[in-house]
Amino acid sequence: MIYSEFIMDYSKLKKFVGKIENATKVEEGKNLSCGDEVTLYLLLDGNRIVDAKFEGHGCTISQASTNVMIEQIIGKTKEEALELLRNAENMILGKEFNEKLLGPILNFYDVKNYPMRVKCFLLPWKTLEMALK
Amino acid sequence: MRSGVWSDKEWECIKSEIPVLDRTVNGKRLVYLDNAASTLKAKSVIDKMADFYLYHYSNIHRAVHTLASEATMAYEQAREKIGRFLNAQLGEVVFTSGTTMGINLLVNSFVRSGLLREGDVVLLTQVEHHANLVPWLRASKFHGFRIEYIQADEKGVILKEAIEKATSVKPKVVSITAQSNVTGQELPLNFVREAFPNAILIIDGAQLIPHKKIDVKALDIDFLVFSAHKMLGPTGVGVLYGKRELLERMEPFLYGGEMIDRVTFEDATFNVPPYKFEAGTPHIAGVVGFGYTLELLENLDLEKIEKQVEILSRYLIDSLSRLDFLELYGPLDDSHRSLVSFNVQGVHPHDVSHVLDQMFGVATRSGHHCAQPLMSILKRGSKIDFPNSTVRASVYFYNTFDDIDTLVEGLKFVRKMFSE
Ligand SMILES: Cc1ncc(COP(=O)(O)O)c(C=O)c1O
Repeated sequence: MIYSEFIMDYSKLKKFVGKIENATKVEEGKNLSCGDEVTLYLLLDGNRIVDAKFEGHGCTISQASTNVMIEQIIGKTKEEALELLRNAENMILGKEFNEKLLGPILNFYDVKNYPMRVKCFLLPWKTLEMALK
Repeated sequence: MRSGVWSDKEWECIKSEIPVLDRTVNGKRLVYLDNAASTLKAKSVIDKMADFYLYHYSNIHRAVHTLASEATMAYEQAREKIGRFLNAQLGEVVFTSGTTMGINLLVNSFVRSGLLREGDVVLLTQVEHHANLVPWLRASKFHGFRIEYIQADEKGVILKEAIEKATSVKPKVVSITAQSNVTGQELPLNFVREAFPNAILIIDGAQLIPHKKIDVKALDIDFLVFSAHKMLGPTGVGVLYGKRELLERMEPFLYGGEMIDRVTFEDATFNVPPYKFEAGTPHIAGVVGFGYTLELLENLDLEKIEKQVEILSRYLIDSLSRLDFLELYGPLDDSHRSLVSFNVQGVHPHDVSHVLDQMFGVATRSGHHCAQPLMSILKRGSKIDFPNSTVRASVYFYNTFDDIDTLVEGLKFVRKMFSE
């Protein structure tokens, strides 16, 4: 089962929930199959992500994925975040990826076996991609 | 426990027809409660389709050789069976690829034929599947007709008062579902016909017809659309019933081979209905297979199927009503049939469905069920933190009380797992 303690715990995290009033980037993402929505707030200092938060509803997988993603991208440059994103995407699509880079994101490894849930995992990442484009 | 209308002999027959019922998923007996999306398939139908493909198949209508005659005959026999089933004439039964195509055909043909013009009103309900909503909406943008809605209440229920109220918009076309795929409500079609005696009445039968016959003449329906795959039949096959005099006045939707009368380098005239609406090579084996499917359902007895689905629906509604951590949608009374949409308080529908499948082998559907606007209505009426989607459990005649008990057990587990 994909509902590990790690994922259950991270799905309930409140630390990154909310708005950033002076956000540099605000991006809305949507999962068309279930109507889940996420709004991602990024505060950039030059090229570096110095803060990130999100608002929105979602399932356990998408909520946990969003929290872990935000935790991982804070402090990273845009390029580093995009590199992480590429590896996270590759992991979930069953392609080659750099394990060392992903760290706690590896906790979602098994989600790749559930095609419908891959979208849940990817929701925040796709939103991040749009925000950084 | 298996209760209801089936004798031991009939049950044996059903079990042997639907072998997947003996399958296990994730180490559990499969409990298939996603029938509203598509039903399981029957062995004798698949066998007969295989036989048709392997020994009697060719293209239809065109050639004079033996295989072509056999294939054409099989195809037209399916049309006869469906005509009898609906109480329609042969020229009134058009084969499509499904409900979605049927409605797109009607919308496009109406605007091309001048049956819908700028200023006309099309009346829908707020509980329509996207298939009976988006084609109208988009065409209205290009052709200037207007869309009005019969309002649903906050449980997603269409009340008779709402239907009466909508008569004031004087619709030219009324296109409504016979049963909502979200709330399970069967709409009072008789009442709708009486409320709109002069409108062109289109019925989306996708959800109702699999378990309750619709007599197009008795109900004075102008058009009826439905899909084979929701009643044991193959995918990619659907039926459009249309009153002969209307079909005759209508411009075709797809143009091409088989649907023409005379073609010159300047223009074309068309074949008679139903052929003028069946351009190109259709899903021949699928249509033939649908004919076999109907035969199987009739042999099982359509009235018994209706009764069994009614019994199971009642048991499903009663069982779920007893779980105080659920929020149920729909009327929950006798008009509520075959499917129930609900939410587990505080748990996202995808999580509910996922755990039911992985731990209990129960197949349910989670999502917005192709009815996004209706989700916003349910959200307004909801007393919980509504997730913009629901879980849906739906039964067909091969389900059992056991199946529903397993669902209930699974839901209790889900509740416990996510409240820790
Ligand atoms: C009420 C209703 N209308 C239309 C459809 C669309 O049917 P199909 O996908 O077979 O075209 C469905 C299927 O989910 C339905 O439930």
